[in-house]
Amino acid sequence: MLHLSDKTLECFLLGLFTSGGGMDEMDELTREFLIESQEGLDRMELGLTDLEQRPNDTALLADIFRSVHTIKGTTGFLGFRRLETLAHAGENLLGLLRDGKLAANGPIVTGLLQLLDGLRSILRTIEADDHEGNGSDTDLILKLEKLHDPATHVKAAATPRLKRSARARSGTAALADKPALAESCAQVPMTPAALPARVRNTPASSLVLAPAADLSPNLVKEAVVSRPRMAFNSAAESTLRVDVALLNRMMNLVGELVLTRNQVLKATAADPNLTMLSRRLDMVTADLREAVMKARMQPVSNVFSKVPRMVRDLSEMLNRRVRLLMEGQETELDKSLLEAIKDPLTHAVRNALDHGIEPPEVRVATGKDPEGTLKLSAMQQGSYVIIEVCDDGAGIAVDKVRDKAIERGLLTAERAAQQSERELLQILFVPGFSTAAAITNVSGRGVGMDVVRTNVEKIGGKVEIESNAGHGTTLRMRIPLTLAIVPALIVRSVGQSFALPQGALSELVHVSQDQAASTIEWIEDAPLYRLRGKLLPLVFLDRMLMPTATSPTRNGDTFIAILDAEGRRFGLVVDGLADPEEIVVKPLSATIKRIGLYSGATVLGSGDLALILDPGAIALKAGIAMEVEQEREVATSTDPMAFAGKDTKYLVVEVAGRQAAVPLNEVLRIEQLPVSRIEYSRSRPVLNFDGEIVPVEDVGGVLLSARDKPSRQIIVVVCRAGDRHVGIVVSHVLDVAAGGDLHEAGSAQLSEGVTVLKNRVTDIIDLGMVVAFQGCQCAANEPTQLVEKIQ
Amino acid sequence: MTSLTHASLPGTQKATASLIEICSVRVGETLFGVAISHIVEIVGSARPQPVPLAPAFVAGLMHYRGEVLTTVSLRELLGLPRLERPQDILVVESSGGCFGLLVDSVGEVLTVSCQDFEANPSTLNEYRKGLFAGAYKLKGSLLVMLDPERLDPLRLSPEIAA
Repeated sequence: MLHLSDKTLECFLLGLFTSGGGMDEMDELTREFLIESQEGLDRMELGLTDLEQRPNDTALLADIFRSVHTIKGTTGFLGFRRLETLAHAGENLLGLLRDGKLAANGPIVTGLLQLLDGLRSILRTIEADDHEGNGSDTDLILKLEKLHDPATHVKAAATPRLKRSARARSGTAALADKPALAESCAQVPMTPAALPARVRNTPASSLVLAPAADLSPNLVKEAVVSRPRMAFNSAAESTLRVDVALLNRMMNLVGELVLTRNQVLKATAADPNLTMLSRRLDMVTADLREAVMKARMQPVSNVFSKVPRMVRDLSEMLNRRVRLLMEGQETELDKSLLEAIKDPLTHAVRNALDHGIEPPEVRVATGKDPEGTLKLSAMQQGSYVIIEVCDDGAGIAVDKVRDKAIERGLLTAERAAQQSERELLQILFVPGFSTAAAITNVSGRGVGMDVVRTNVEKIGGKVEIESNAGHGTTLRMRIPLTLAIVPALIVRSVGQSFALPQGALSELVHVSQDQAASTIEWIEDAPLYRLRGKLLPLVFLDRMLMPTATSPTRNGDTFIAILDAEGRRFGLVVDGLADPEEIVVKPLSATIKRIGLYSGATVLGSGDLALILDPGAIALKAGIAMEVEQEREVATSTDPMAFAGKDTKYLVVEVAGRQAAVPLNEVLRIEQLPVSRIEYSRSRPVLNFDGEIVPVEDVGGVLLSARDKPSRQIIVVVCRAGDRHVGIVVSHVLDVAAGGDLHEAGSAQLSEGVTVLKNRVTDIIDLGMVVAFQGCQCAANEPTQLVEKIQ
Repeated sequence: MTSLTHASLPGTQKATASLIEICSVRVGETLFGVAISHIVEIVGSARPQPVPLAPAFVAGLMHYRGEVLTTVSLRELLGLPRLERPQDILVVESSGGCFGLLVDSVGEVLTVSCQDFEANPSTLNEYRKGLFAGAYKLKGSLLVMLDPERLDPLRLSPEIAA
């Protein structure tokens, strides 16, 4: 460490001496200074808002002091006088705070925040124009000086003592430099009693400037000493700044490598000599991809850290008292997504303060703590990060929202009567609903809510709002972990493959050729499908993509992908389905983007290109109306199987005469195939899907009973179980139903639990257990054992 | 206009005097040329992925080194019937980025002298004047110059009837 510091120091000095000669080094130095200063100021901003809560935290004060001090020290020899003067003024005030001569209070923190803004604006000017600009900071400096003032706080010899302590911190080298010390002290008024008067009377700039200018040789030394120490503090040695563009490029290349690997794996599959080699390539590629993805991840604290300041400023402006709680700041998110949630988050916080949390007197009147609570939390859930902005304010008056919606014709009165509060609140996201007139009537919530939704959905996320009138509101954003890789279902239409983002997909319906005519109904030329008794508008993808083609003659089965995009619900009719794939999204040129139906392109495992469909744009183009209500079949259905409020959905199947259920989100697809398609590997049944082997679990003994009839059709539900796929043979697929939470842990080994679906007690098939059984080397008669266990 | 286009063609620097290298390509009966310096790569016998609802001049998308490039069909631009066999693609660079140019076939690289360059003849229709940058007089034939800037899919309006 010591050695390294010396070396850093040497390099630094070298840079210092040569900087006069070469303009380039100077620029490099300035750039580095700018980045470091920005980081320091970011830390300071966070520290200042904390300081208000903990005014006596000396460690915090020391940290804030250090940020300003470092800027002052470095500017001294870079020749940014204006910056130095301002930083110096701030340092004086902070010194008093740090030494306990002054206690931090509201006005002081405000002053320091203004100092921060002042420093930032000068840094920005330097970044843009390479010089500090000609503005004057006299007012601000005067203001900072005034904050020293409360006579009771200012001890006579404050300033000289501050100087000494500052020097002491910067190392013994500076302390030993006695002549310099004496000189600096000489510059400061020596008569203790005279100081407060001078602070008040002398034009501030001259008072501050004089010692600062004379001290510059020492300042250089301070800066030199402070640099390595700062490096030690921030672990700068083990980190590196990397251009985001470079990371994007790396991500791109890794995506390329993944594709090449896929092709190599396919080509070498038959050659046993290359198996080891290609497997290794496979592994290294996967690791590399993960590493690059990881490099792009940043903690959400990067965005959250802006909030304390915002809350402070807003609550002062709006006369609110707010306690801010933040949770899960270490949750990581892709850099570009982090950028994208900045605005929605700002909107949400602003709303929560402006329209959510009431003024203190109102809160007291309603029996609440005068101080409101705003809670920001982030947590990872699968491949999503959930960000919540939660306040304990007035909440949203749902009936007012309903009245307004009916008044504006967004909702009919009878439909509104059927809707739950949660559904009604979704109206807040409808663009146009959030216009000013509507807002003031509805306790204001909704300013720019459609913007929040648009921004979040643009990056593949979802927003929902929950409110408890009188008790607060929660805005929840579901953000995908990364933009670059998206789970998608590959569908086929017009002889091509297209990718459909899974985020918008709610379920799939298979329509066999002979059913097609009766299943799809028409009102004039509008195709409709009855989904559990409700009419759902359909969009034929082939007709949309090839409007000129003569009426397509459909051979074979069709599939309806039921999509939920930006509040629009419809069925997209496609010719075929392939496996879901994790696709790498590639941007499209403006020419193709202009078509408006595609959000990107991707390269499939086969090496083919596929366009990524934009469900929202398709719905718009097809004229599908915004459906305000969501999950209506759950809430309004009279079907007893629907448990309002519980939204775990299951695929209900029949296995050997009993009803069983598989969690719907684990189901990848349902295959109907002849028994002859089942092959046996080491006497275990497996299915071969385009070269991929899926183990098959014959829970109900369906396979055993059909062994001699190879043409008999069986149904296999392919599920995701952990990171593996497994097929479960069932007798019939009955329905999709929402079930309540598990009522009791089942004793059957294969069942994770039991639930009531369609008025029947239903076993939930525990996929983890199935895989566990697959993993062990069991005999061929194992399926019968399992049947015994399940029954 | 003419001299400007001419000057913008690379290879006209003092060092190489007045010689420039041009990759010749054939579309239908005509011999076209693209300055070597504009070409990033030549991809042989490719089939770009068609894009439903795209303007007619878009031959499709191609996958090129991790990026998805839009390909412009020169045949469509010239109003020639579509070919059903795989064709060659020039990956070219314009100020707006890279794109693919679908041609019937790529020929040899020719070195021509600037003195043999002439602007578009006044009798050429306006639409083609917009596409072509001029022509070089070769022995026994003409080489029609293509400038990637003029063929960039961003510049081509979707309405142009080929």
